Amino acid sequence: MSQAYIVGAAMIPMGKHRDSSYSGLALPAVLNALASAGVAPSEVQSVVCGHAFGGMLTGQRIVKEMGIASVPVTNVDNACSGGATALHLAWKDIQAGRHEIVLVIGVDKLTQFGGGTLPLVLEDPEVQQGMVMPALYAMRARRYLHERGAQPSDLAEVSVKARRHGAKNPYAQFRKEVTVDEVLASRYICEPLTLLQCCPTGDGAAAVLVVSDAVRRRLGLPAVRIAASILHSGAMTTGFRDMLRPEITYHSASDAYEAAGIGASDVDVVELHDAFTIAELVYYEALGLCKPGESADYLKSGKTTYGGDVVVNPSGGLLSKGHPVGCSGVAQAVEMYWQLTAQAGARQVDQARIGLSHVTGGGIAGLDHGACTVHLFERAL
Amino acid sequence: MSTAPATTTSGSAFTSDALPFTDLAVSDQSSFEIRDGAVLLRGSVSRSSGSRAFPARLVCHETGARDMEPMTFGPRGTLYSYSTVHVSSSRPTPYTIGYVDFDNGVRVLAQVESAGEMLACDQPVELRADGARWFVSPVSQQGASA
Repeated sequence: MSQAYIVGAAMIPMGKHRDSSYSGLALPAVLNALASAGVAPSEVQSVVCGHAFGGMLTGQRIVKEMGIASVPVTNVDNACSGGATALHLAWKDIQAGRHEIVLVIGVDKLTQFGGGTLPLVLEDPEVQQGMVMPALYAMRARRYLHERGAQPSDLAEVSVKARRHGAKNPYAQFRKEVTVDEVLASRYICEPLTLLQCCPTGDGAAAVLVVSDAVRRRLGLPAVRIAASILHSGAMTTGFRDMLRPEITYHSASDAYEAAGIGASDVDVVELHDAFTIAELVYYEALGLCKPGESADYLKSGKTTYGGDVVVNPSGGLLSKGHPVGCSGVAQAVEMYWQLTAQAGARQVDQARIGLSHVTGGGIAGLDHGACTVHLFERAL
Repeated sequence: MSTAPATTTSGSAFTSDALPFTDLAVSDQSSFEIRDGAVLLRGSVSRSSGSRAFPARLVCHETGARDMEPMTFGPRGTLYSYSTVHVSSSRPTPYTIGYVDFDNGVRVLAQVESAGEMLACDQPVELRADGARWFVSPVSQQGASA
């Protein structure tokens, strides 16, 4: 048994990189992650690659190009949770003592689809009825406005904060601030969600190196301990589901806090799954950052930005940084590594010691989401 | 990138080494050149490890070093194996492809075109070109165009 640590991390700036292949996207991130840890490709003992749309052998297509050979490479699809699931598997292997140095890659290229909503699996009965990801979140938003007496501007405030944070992140796809009026005036994607309330189509890659305690000590570098790594799948119901209480996130978060012996109030910095504005509000409550029913006021009072209780999505989140689905969980871990080792530059969260990252995955009939990962990270001394 | 130019890639800023490779961009660089009538392939060799590769690439596949330099090779090679394809998901059929071994240690998958003569493993072949396209043909076949 060993604790697992992140000792190196890198990503490429997210954007529309139509001229790059999956390996072309991922190689700079992988090479820079290894370089930041001072680890040679030949020292990597195992690779886990998260992606949703890379096709066969995505991980091998990347690492064969740069001197990682023969070691096990595992490719993981868990929709938007693919990258975080890859991190979870690396954590498991380090914990079990199976490997000491594991490379985790997250990569996806959404520009290959030309734009529009994410292609979902047509075998699914709700997809056959016309379900698309923004529609799922739009119905959640409609219900939120209905039950909470909230206004569309309450939703828009999420984008305003995300863009304000993202403006300071050189890796973010959108680096321009927006106003509530601009957010609400943009065209509808799925009512009541407007364009600027939806994460963009984009391409990205990120990589982290996860190592055992012995390797961390040998390297002697800034490190972040993975204090908890929780993966849940959804539970099927054909009955009534409260769309404002996403049970998969409630359960994952509560398991993570328990496993780490850390409470929600201890967390300094959060990267959560703000694929659409409504998601951030609902997840404040699900992650225990505020009480159920208080999320809109919690945001408006400035508690989730610099100077508040906890900085949520300092990277700009999925709304501003971008959301190449299988990449996002690893990109979140990269941001956590930078924040907790004080390498985040202009967007650094002061004195950040404990971080939480959260990604859900997928829309399939009967489930809240198909996957959910919650990680807790602690700055290593 | 909006503040001071970065000298190293980190969480606060990045340099060109963090940018994705534009390996799908349409290249204005041909994958071959013709020198004194001979068709030569353009590959690359690592300055530090000496690893060679075709097509040309940016990163050493043995060490990850970003120090690949241009290297040309050919025109003669040896046909290691080959097949004429009659059912294909990628191109109209029939066509013949084969692995060609060059004396610099690089093996290249090539279109194989012969003027009716039988192909055989270990047969000498040479690079030929037709417009922007390159392929190999048995050496015995004389009078190739360039």
